[in-house]
Amino acid sequence: MHIVDGALSNEVVIAGSVLAAGGIALGLRKLDIEKIPAAGMLSATFFVASLIHVPIGPSSVHLILNGLAGLMLGWAAFPALFVGLLLQAVFFGFGGLTVLGVNTLNIALPAVLVFYICRQGVAARSAITSAVWGGIGGTLSIVLTTLLVGASLALSGDEFIPAAKLVFVTHIPVMIIEGLLTGFAVYLARKVKPELFAELTVSAEATS
Amino acid sequence: MKPHILLTVIALVISCSTTPALAHKVIASVFASGSDIEGEIGFSNGEMAKKTLVEVFDEDGNKLGETRTDEEGFFVFTPKKAIPHVFSANLGSGHIAKVKLELADMPQVGSSNTDRSVSPIPELGSTAKVLPTQTIATNGSVNITMAELTEANAALLEETRNVMREMIHREVKPLRREIAAYKEKNNLQTILGGIGYIVGLFGFWFYFSTRRKLAKR
Repeated sequence: MHIVDGALSNEVVIAGSVLAAGGIALGLRKLDIEKIPAAGMLSATFFVASLIHVPIGPSSVHLILNGLAGLMLGWAAFPALFVGLLLQAVFFGFGGLTVLGVNTLNIALPAVLVFYICRQGVAARSAITSAVWGGIGGTLSIVLTTLLVGASLALSGDEFIPAAKLVFVTHIPVMIIEGLLTGFAVYLARKVKPELFAELTVSAEATS
Repeated sequence: MKPHILLTVIALVISCSTTPALAHKVIASVFASGSDIEGEIGFSNGEMAKKTLVEVFDEDGNKLGETRTDEEGFFVFTPKKAIPHVFSANLGSGHIAKVKLELADMPQVGSSNTDRSVSPIPELGSTAKVLPTQTIATNGSVNITMAELTEANAALLEETRNVMREMIHREVKPLRREIAAYKEKNNLQTILGGIGYIVGLFGFWFYFSTRRKLAKR
């Protein structure tokens, strides 16, 4: 999921950085004071989640949890995930500093899209419906991320279909796991602390 | 604040339930072995890069050649020039392994290598030239055996050297692996340090936003 330094062409790296910077700026403007602790928490969760490896056959995959961040933060997922990625690059050597923009875009943009697609579902009155939509969000964010990673590689010269297919296929287990995890997390949060999604409910009602 | 406590608990539970595993990261190492350069490419979770094309470049990016890894992610390249070599392999999905072998670590290349390995033979040969003349005087049959002996000696020496090299290689291999694994290890301090940075950064932003909000009032 983390593209490393040198894998992408300069154009893709620059375009990704510019778009990510835009996303971060927008995210910071939309980050209310009340949401800052949640953003920090999800940033830390994302930072740690990549260290959790799920062994699948001979290989293993790691969690990303960008769907959960997106559902709870909306645009603020951009700065939160950026910080997580920056520290992963510095501390663990995941990805790299030059490709940070592209990686942020690939991981945070799906989070924001999932926020807009699933917010009404998650804001549903029944906690079960909400959890199901949370699960859909968790899975969808990984699907979109793999497509974006495939696209970044394709724009740098790899052929899109095989590149995207490889990333997509290796992440099918992550999609399932993250779907379940996000679903349960949303369910738990709805049961224990419904006001965590209060803003989601408000914004969903405002649009509907 | 309670939802954040909840999230903290979730994060802690996930981080404690599994030991901090190795990251999914590309690792590559190269080292001189005899007159060849050997290398290993794989992922930090232990999976090796099988049958992957490894391209070899010099420092300026001119291609010097290519080789392919075997089933265990192992490759051998015979260098022709004594210059720093850069090995690069594309493992797909944005995983690129790039590793450089510095001049100091380069094996003895080409002619200089043959010079070195051959060097004992002329030395022995020169003594052999003296010896036969001496032995001819005493015994003719010894002359032949002496010449053969020096040749056999040289061959034996070369063979011993190869065996030694192989033995050392075999002994060092697990060590090298362990060092590579150790380099990739993420210990708890690193993780806690990272989380500390996150808390600090968001705390700073919190302070910043609050100040701005208070200033507006």
